[in-house]
Formats: sequence, structure tokens, C-alpha cells
Amino acid sequence: MKKSLRLLFVCTFVLSVLFVSCSKKQDSSSSASTSNAKDGAQVIKFGFIGPLSGDYANYGTYCRDAALLAINEFNSSRSNVAGFKVELVDIDSAGDNNKALAAVEKLSSDKNVIGIVGPVITSETFVVADRCQNEGLTVMTPSASHKDITNIGDYIFRTTISDGLQGEVAGAYFAQKLGYKRLASLYTMNDYSKGLNDGMTLSFEANPGCKVVIAETCNIGDKDFRSQLTRIKNSNAEAIYIPNYTEEMAQILEQAAQLNIKLPFVSGDGFSNPIIYQNAGAYTDGVVYVAPPQVKETSLYSDFVASYNKATGHDPDSFATNMFDATNIFLQSAEKIVKDGKVNRSSFRDAVASTKDYQGASGVINFASNGDLVANQGIYKVNGTTPVFVGEYKVLNGKIVEAN
Amino acid sequence: MVNFILLILIYTVIYSFMALGQNVITGYGGMLSLCQAGFFAIGSYTTGILTVKCGWGFWPTMFVGMFIAIVLGILIGIPTLRLKGDYLAIVTLGVGEIIKNVINNWISLTNGPMGIQRIPMVKVFGFKVNPYNNKFGFLLLSLCILLLCALFLHRFIRTRNGRALEAVREDELASLSSGINSTVYKVMAFAIGACLASIGGSLYSVLTLSISPGTYTFMMSVMVLCMVVLGGMGNLLGVILGAFIIQLISYLPELTGLSRVIPPQCKEILFGVILVVMMIFRPEGLLGRPKRQTNFMSDSKGTVLLYKAKHVCSNISSLFSNIKKGKGGKA
Amino acid sequence: MLQEFFQHFINGITLGGIYALVALGYTMVYGILKFINFAHGDVLMWGAYIGLFVYNAIRTTHAPGAFSVFAFFVAMVVAAIASAVMGMSIEKIAYKPLRKAPRLAPLLSAIGVSYILSNSAQLFFGTHSRKLEYPFDNSPIAMGSISITPHQILILAVSGITMFALMMFVNKTRLGKAMRATSLDQDAASLMGINVNNIISLTFAIGSALAAIGGMLVSLDFKVYATMGTMLGLKAFVAAVVGGIGNIPGAMLGGLLLGLLETFGVALLHIPLGFKDTVAFVVLIIILLVRPSGILGKNIREKV
Repeated sequence: MKKSLRLLFVCTFVLSVLFVSCSKKQDSSSSASTSNAKDGAQVIKFGFIGPLSGDYANYGTYCRDAALLAINEFNSSRSNVAGFKVELVDIDSAGDNNKALAAVEKLSSDKNVIGIVGPVITSETFVVADRCQNEGLTVMTPSASHKDITNIGDYIFRTTISDGLQGEVAGAYFAQKLGYKRLASLYTMNDYSKGLNDGMTLSFEANPGCKVVIAETCNIGDKDFRSQLTRIKNSNAEAIYIPNYTEEMAQILEQAAQLNIKLPFVSGDGFSNPIIYQNAGAYTDGVVYVAPPQVKETSLYSDFVASYNKATGHDPDSFATNMFDATNIFLQSAEKIVKDGKVNRSSFRDAVASTKDYQGASGVINFASNGDLVANQGIYKVNGTTPVFVGEYKVLNGKIVEAN
Repeated sequence: MVNFILLILIYTVIYSFMALGQNVITGYGGMLSLCQAGFFAIGSYTTGILTVKCGWGFWPTMFVGMFIAIVLGILIGIPTLRLKGDYLAIVTLGVGEIIKNVINNWISLTNGPMGIQRIPMVKVFGFKVNPYNNKFGFLLLSLCILLLCALFLHRFIRTRNGRALEAVREDELASLSSGINSTVYKVMAFAIGACLASIGGSLYSVLTLSISPGTYTFMMSVMVLCMVVLGGMGNLLGVILGAFIIQLISYLPELTGLSRVIPPQCKEILFGVILVVMMIFRPEGLLGRPKRQTNFMSDSKGTVLLYKAKHVCSNISSLFSNIKKGKGGKA
Repeated sequence: MLQEFFQHFINGITLGGIYALVALGYTMVYGILKFINFAHGDVLMWGAYIGLFVYNAIRTTHAPGAFSVFAFFVAMVVAAIASAVMGMSIEKIAYKPLRKAPRLAPLLSAIGVSYILSNSAQLFFGTHSRKLEYPFDNSPIAMGSISITPHQILILAVSGITMFALMMFVNKTRLGKAMRATSLDQDAASLMGINVNNIISLTFAIGSALAAIGGMLVSLDFKVYATMGTMLGLKAFVAAVVGGIGNIPGAMLGGLLLGLLETFGVALLHIPLGFKDTVAFVVLIIILLVRPSGILGKNIREKV
């Protein structure tokens, strides 16, 4: 026992000596960081952080595959012209903040990594984004929709719409276009779902006479929603808003049908995952949901779906589509900085920020000054098991208007 | 890469706080508790809330966190610690889940699922210890606190209280009959364990600077238990070694640069295999319980055999009577 | 209000029936080996996957009807047998060498097995959840504003029948008697000519087969996915302990109680449903404080 304590003491001592000597060296090493990247211009690396195992593995793998698809397409078709190849360094976070944070350390230590696509989960993104901002690594998340994320710093971007905006469009659309006065909501107690619900409630109740009459919650991992639905059934709501993850929504739809609930359902972008039709295909008819709009004029979206399907064997969800665009914006920006000969992290950030009217699979992408996506929202109505695109909407002075 | 390795070491130290606490409860006290993550969360959130919402410095919040954890530990401990073995495990599991659940749902206090962001960095003598750029400093700081805790435990187990606690673990009835109030010592162990976990939690929130309720899962408590059993129950260095090994395994693909080659699930499978193999070949843990002169189980083999034989005989008779009476339902 | 009450009641006992079925496996293993088989939930998940594949293979494109119901039960039997073999092999490999080890060693070994099983399933079968199609028309039967679906009735019926059969087996057969003897005292039982190793294998086989049946039933409600066993296993374990671990009627009671508490506890009080786990756990802790060995558990007085 004494020995072990002595060992601990020695360890601490050795570390403290190292610390003193290292802290002097650190200053010199940090200034030399960017010069390294110039020699390695042949290969540029993007990091990916997301859950590839564990409970959220589904979302992570969908997004990872989309990023890989974009990079493979680039390497096989454009890399000769651009003069460099791109590599994706994907690190599994297992939905664990600690692992996500460790992943940043791992990625940032490699000077060829100039940006990170991801993280996928909101709480992960909070931890990672702050660290990356500090490190000067550009982050572009396809799915973390919490309204405060992009305010962490100027290195943080996203290709998904902020909760506030999606909720705003949702609430205004439900009240003004669908004419609901009394809404019920059933959301998960996590940042994503609650964020959407709060945004929607705020915008919905701003309309005269409109009220969310019953707001029920469930916990992450719940599969049984009958108690919540039974309560909702006995309220006088006209429709039920379910801004949850895909698999939970499949459960909710099915159990609602079993409880003989005939109310219409309205939902958020989690509904764009095709898994919903596999798991609850019998109950999806008539659901209206808000998600990134489809591009009608170009074939970009359908091309993406086709090649994604070829690579993975299933259709992408909206997060994967966002990820595809995020990766392509990164690739485009990387081309720009390679052409200018300024391959370092800060000029990469500037290149990403200067993206203008990028034609992506999810629509035209522009970034606001804080890195938020400037976009309209698409409204979809499900007919049987196929979502039908209704139109692109935005909110102007509290009124919902069709864009374009 | 240096930063990555340093971060893993910092995680090791932070988990070591929980593991040391678990060691007091399980290793010294012989109680199976599964709520270290809950007390860890209490430390984290105390620091998070007090620094962000009330503008306190880190150090007072750490002590407030310790205090809350101790009080909660005593409050929970007094009624529950008379339960035995797995019943206690369930109650503590429940406590952990309740803490997590309340944190996730008490939105006005904890900000609910949104978590708390922008926690200020810790200051030592006026110097900011930036967990981003100055990992070495942070590691050193947490290691110093860990060392203090380890020293305390090292002394504690040699005091009258510590010996009494070990006596209760070895044979509660015998120690009761020698005038040891077992509840007092069990509650004491529980409170110390809670307090240690809370220190780790406080440090954790100034490491990540952003906390959310999804971190404090049941699996975290299980992981901490694994660290203690893997390293060797009752062995301070063993416990820290256990924490280190488990951190090492979970970052193995990234450390070896094989994250592209090995599917992420394989790492977890490997972890499972290591656990099983470890337990088969060294069930007492890597370092095992340190041997002491004052061993309570210093019976010679003969007396053990004699005792066992007596026990078997008495049970055969009760077995017969039980089966004859048809007291069924037990399988 | 009364109708809402009945609806919650029906929801509660369906959930409780599932918990009870899974809890049986825990309680049987605990009764004999005195350790928590953490891998039980993952055996359940594997059972569900096997059942799903067999069911899909037999049923192919048949519409819901007699044939698909037949396919469902065949799949259930196959899954039960496969899981039984799996359970026995796990016991032989991971737990048997640890019979004489310190008390926590088999617990950790079980956690290891659980990791291996759940992650290998994710590796082989992917991360998304799969639906087990209803073998029959599952439109709800409405009684006023209360509704119940055929699959809920199936869950309750199969749970009830299995539990009854298990009780009969344990209390009325020779093997059952040997099981009870082993659970009371292994040494004494082996001195009486009972092959303890065989009995332990049998216990694992039965427990795992029950898990597979439970898994198939749960899949009707919760879908099949690689981490389905974790939370379910935890809840079922809690149910087993509250009922009095090692006690078969106790496991049933505990399961039903937990199911009812989760749906009722909060539904009738006016608290947000996010707190339902808190309410359930608080009540369970109170029960354990009043009855430290579970509701039906016998309080064994310690002897020196």
C-alpha cells in the first residue's frame, strides 16, 4: 500500500517536471503548426465525429456513409483537376461526449485535418464545437439543430436548420395553413426534440386563439408511449405534433392507431428517414412534416439518392442529405484554398464562410454571418408511404408565405 | 497526439475519483452500489449551475458539491443500507436513475436536456487552467487532488473507523456483537464514496466546459464498478490502474490508428472478451486485495472445512423439511 | 375519467406482462447461482433476431392468417431452442469457471458477455430496427373509448401460459424438485445425488428459452434492434428483485407492478410524464424498504 502511494507520488512529480519543461516548449510549437500543412497539400483530411456504435449508431452511420460518398465521388472524378486527394478520418463517439471530445484531440493533432463534418448529436456538438473553435478547426454539423450552436463561434457552421426556424415555420404553418387551434405535442426530453417543440410552441401560440393544449414528454429510449397517448386522446386537441427521432415516431404512430386515436399527426425532419415507412408504413398516411425542401429544378437530389442507395442499399434521411452537402461544401472550399495556395485551417474557414448560393442536394445553401443555414423549409404530406412535397415556406412578420 | 493521450490520462484521473469512491463502498464496505454516476452528476451540476448562474468560482462549488453529495449519501444511506446484496444494488440503481431523471426534467434548475454550456475555466492562484490548450496543467491539477484523496483513503482505512468498516464487510454479525454499529460505518462509507464521485464530477465540468444529462448513464456506474473489480477491490493503486485500462481499451482503435480498419463494435466486443477472460483467470482483479497482518479471514483450512461440513449437514435437514412441506415456488 | 383509468390499466398490464416474462429468467438464474445474469437481456435480443429471421423465412409473403400464425409459433419454438443452447454455452464458458470466485466476478463476466452479444448483433444485423410483422390482423378492438389490440391479448396469454407451465414444472416434477433443492443448497443437493451441473445448465436453458419467447413478444410491440435487451433487461431485473428475487410468482407480481406503476403512477397524478421513471423507482424503493426481501421474498434470518 505504501509502495503504491509512493508510486503515485513519483508519477505526479515526474509529470510536474515534464509540465514545467513542456510549457516552455509549447509556445514555439504552436506557431509552427500551419507550415506543416503546406507540404501535405497532396492529401487533405476531413474529420468525422458521430455515433457509429451504441443507441444512436443508426444516425451516425447514415451520415458517415453520405460523407464517404461525397469524398469518393470527389476522389474519382475531380481530384485530378483539383490536384489533391481527400481522406475522411471517421471516429466513433458512441453518443458519448467524452469520446467526442477525445476525437477532437485526435483529429486536431493531425495537421492535415482542416475541418470536421459532424458531429451528429446535439450535446456532442456543444462539447466539440467549443473545443474546435478554440483549436481553429472548422465544424459543419448536418444535424445538430439547437439554436445556440452556431453562436459558439465563427468556426461553427451547419447545413441543418436551427430548431427555432424549423419550429417557427412548423407552428405558423399548422396555425395558418392547416387551421389548427388546439394542438397536442409529444416530445422526447432531449435537446433535439425539446428544441423543436419549444420553437413550434412559441410560433404556434403567437397566432390568435391557438394553443398547445397538452404537451407530453417521454424519456430517451422509451418505447411505450401509450400513457402519453391515452392522455392526449382524452384532451380536446385537433392534431398531435411529434418532433422525435424516427424509431420513436414509428412507435408512436403504431400505438396511437392501436389506441384508436384518429387525430392527424404533424412532425419534424426526423420523419424524412425512410425507416419510418418500413416500421410503421400502415399508419403514415396523411402525416404532414417539416423538413429541408427538395430541389425541384435540378436532379441533384435524385442523383444523390440513387448513388447513396447504390453505395449503402437504403435511402438517405434528411441528415444524410445535409451531410452530403456539408462535405461537398468542404470539398469546394478545399479546392479554393488549394488553388490559392493557402492551405491552412483559418483560410479554410474563410473559404467555407464565403460559400454563396451553393446548389446542394437539399437546396440552395447560404450561411448567415453566425454560420447558420439560411434556408426555407419544405412542407411534406405523406400519401400512403410516399412523402409528397407541398412547397417551400418561410415566415415573414409572423405570417407564413410560400417562397419563390 | 500528445493532447489526445493527455486527455485519456485526464479521463483516467476523473474516472478514478468515481472508482476510488466505489472502492470505499464496495471494496472496503462490501456493498454493491450502482449509483456513482448519479453522485458524479451532482458534482458536475453543482459546479455547472453555481458557476454559470451564480458566478461563483470553481473551488467553492466543488466543496458545495461534496457537501450536497455527502448529505444526499447520508439521507439515502440511512434507510437503504440495511438492505443486503442485490436488493441494495437495485435501490442504488434506482437512486442513480432518479438523479438522472430529475436532472433531465427539472428544467428551471438544470436547463433540462439542453444542458449547461460555457462553464468558466478553473483558476488556481489566479491562473486559468485552460483544459483545451493546457492539458498538462489540468492533468496535474486533477492528479494532485486525486493524490490528496488517495492519501486520505490510505489513512482512513487504517483508522479505527476504517478497520470497523472492514470488519463489517467480513462479518456483519460478528462485528455487531463486538459492539460495532454497522449502520454508522456503512453510511460513512457510502457518504465518502458519494463525496469522491462528486469531486470527479466537479472537475469533469471544468474539463468539458459543457455538460448535459445524457452523460450520466447507468452504464457509467457499471463501468466504474468494472474498474474497481478489474483493478482489484480494496487496492487503491489497483483501482486507478483499472480506470486506466478501461480508458485505454475504449480508445484503442484511435490510439493504434486502426479506427478505419476495425469496426467500432469490435472494440466493444474486445472489451467484453477482456472482461470475461480477466474474470476467469484473475477473479480477484489485476492487483488483488492487499494482504495485511490483521487479516480477518486468517482461519486455518481445517476450521473452514469443519464449518462447511456443519453447514451442509444442517442444510440437508432443512432441505428435507422444506421440500416435504411443499414450500414451492423457489427455483 | 373512468375510461382513461381502464385504458391505462390495459396499457399497464401489457407492459407488465412483458416485464414479468423477462423477469422470470433473471429470477430463475438468481435462485440457483445467486448472481445477476446481466447478459439475459442480450440473450433475449438474439432470440428475437433468430425468431424474426425464421419467421420471415417461413412466412415469406403470406397474408396475415392461419399460416402466418403457425409460422410465428414455429419461429418462437426455434428461437427458444436456439436461445436455450446459447444460454447453456454462455454458462459453460463464462460462468462455470467462476463458481468459487468472489461474488462480483461472475457479475462482471456477465457484463462482458452482454457487451459481446449486443455489439456482435449490431455488427451482424446493422443498427436500424426491424419490424416483426403481425401474424394476424391487429386492428384494435374498441370497447367504448377503451381499446385493446389482439397482440396485447397474445402477449398476456402467452406470458400467462408460460408462467403457469413453469410453476407446474418447478413444483410438480422431479426435475423441478431437484432445481429447488439446488437453489436451497448446492452442496447438500449434490450429496443427495443431484447432478448440480446439469441442473444449472437446465436452469439456463429454460431461462434463455423464456427470454427468447419474451423477445418475440416484445418485438411485436417494440421492434427488433441490437440494444433492445439493455433497458428491458434492467427493468425486468428490477421487477424480479421487487417481487422477491428467486421467487417465480414474485417475478410475475413484480413485473405487473412495475408495468402498472410506469403507466399509472404518473398518468393519474398530474406530473409531466418525463418523471415516470422517478415515480416508479421511488415507489419500488419504498416497497423494498418496507419489505427488504421483496414482496414475496422470504426474510431469511441470519444465523451464526
